[in-house]
Amino acid sequence: MVETGQAAAAVAMQTFERIHPVEFQRRFLGQNTRHTGREFNQFRALKVIKGAISTAQGSATVRLGNTTVVCGIKAEVCEPDVKRPTAGYLTTNVELSPMCSARFRAGAPSDEAQVASEHIYRLSMHLLDLTSLCIESGKAAWSLSADIVCLKHDGNVVDAAVIALVAAIEDLRLPRAEFDSATGVVSADKEALGHVDVKKRLFPATFVLVDDLCVVADADDAEEQMATASLLVVMDGEGKLVNLWKRGAGVISREAVEQCVERARERMSEIAKVLD
Amino acid sequence: MSRPDRREASQLRALNCSLGQSNRADGSAQFSAGNTSVVSGIYGPVEAKVYEEKLDRAVVEVKFRPDIGAPTTKDKWMESAIRNTFEREILAHLHPRTLVQIVVQLREGDGSVDSAAINATSLALVDAGIPLKCMVTAATCAVLSDDTTVVDPTQEEIDAARSTHTFAFASGSPTGPLYVDSRGEFTMDEYNHCYDLCALATERVLAFMRTAIEGKVTKEAKISAA
Repeated sequence: MVETGQAAAAVAMQTFERIHPVEFQRRFLGQNTRHTGREFNQFRALKVIKGAISTAQGSATVRLGNTTVVCGIKAEVCEPDVKRPTAGYLTTNVELSPMCSARFRAGAPSDEAQVASEHIYRLSMHLLDLTSLCIESGKAAWSLSADIVCLKHDGNVVDAAVIALVAAIEDLRLPRAEFDSATGVVSADKEALGHVDVKKRLFPATFVLVDDLCVVADADDAEEQMATASLLVVMDGEGKLVNLWKRGAGVISREAVEQCVERARERMSEIAKVLD
Repeated sequence: MSRPDRREASQLRALNCSLGQSNRADGSAQFSAGNTSVVSGIYGPVEAKVYEEKLDRAVVEVKFRPDIGAPTTKDKWMESAIRNTFEREILAHLHPRTLVQIVVQLREGDGSVDSAAINATSLALVDAGIPLKCMVTAATCAVLSDDTTVVDPTQEEIDAARSTHTFAFASGSPTGPLYVDSRGEFTMDEYNHCYDLCALATERVLAFMRTAIEGKVTKEAKISAA
């Protein structure tokens, strides 16, 4: 009798979650808890696997709870920009396809993907010194294209994407290249692989104001759907801030922002431990 | 330390705006701070496409066009910034199943473009008569390599800065900013200092906007009375 009662209650709860997702979340937030039982400032388990893609010059897979993101970096040789002859290129592209969530449609990148791509591109400028990609000034340089593909979207893709990019750049091995000025050909020695100089490591932490009620760290998909504001804090390895990005009309007070930054500082060491 | 245009550190550039220039749009405003000039046009509330309409509120759509070239992800980012800022300040529940389209055109960019775009949109929404919770004002400041903080930086100052910070505030809401974009390498102290400077700067922008709107309303009242 008890088992049937419990089973029936579980089914009822799942149905409630499906039909009234907003009300379902509010039941928990009203009691000052999260629906998964996590603490408000608790991030999900982070797992980073470097070198997941053998065909890419650098790659990493990041799992943040159920959110899974893969970053693959391909390197090509190209001519540097006339205005910046000693700099290479690093382009980042975030792909949110129907595979990761029913929210996305196939075809042109959605607004969410484009905004994420642009934001991560701006952050990536802190990661690498592009002049370290130069092979021959004005003639040849490495062009890195980082494709960040979300395989499973359970909230907070941005954090996972940033960590994946950092890990993939650290995993990146480029062959030593030489430019022959006589023939104009770049030859690369596949046996001599070297890492690129990482200027700064980036440690992201996203906090979300759920339903105007409370600020939670590392929101999952259900919480993100009810977000009225989000705050991304990115720190470098020395505890300096690289980015503070608050979006959405919900109010996150100055005190709350300071608390989030402090939590982001602790998060920095949590991520560093996993990356190393 | 003197700025290239001899301004004080906390001095804004000369602000200029003109409302209602576009006779096709329901409302429009051109806002400029020094050489940075942005035009914002509002179409709405208009009919929304069936697949994007919301049953209980108006949908807010933003298009940002750069000064030169085709739109890129950079402009998509700007669109998202403007939409996130205004989505809930517009009283969308008064116009369900409609669309409010905000089209922002960058005419000339010389630094602090994002705050100019937000300010232009605020004015354009008032010109269009879209009901708003409050006025939204924005300001940018930059921390330079010699640790001085300057308000309303030009592109030249931004290129040389260690960090740039854009804040948007809702008038009459002192608890927190509506929108924050701080980038570069900075400490929390620098961030807080920039926050305070921008809060003061937005108050000045708000006063400027109030004068501009009052001027327009008085002029219209005279014309309709005559």
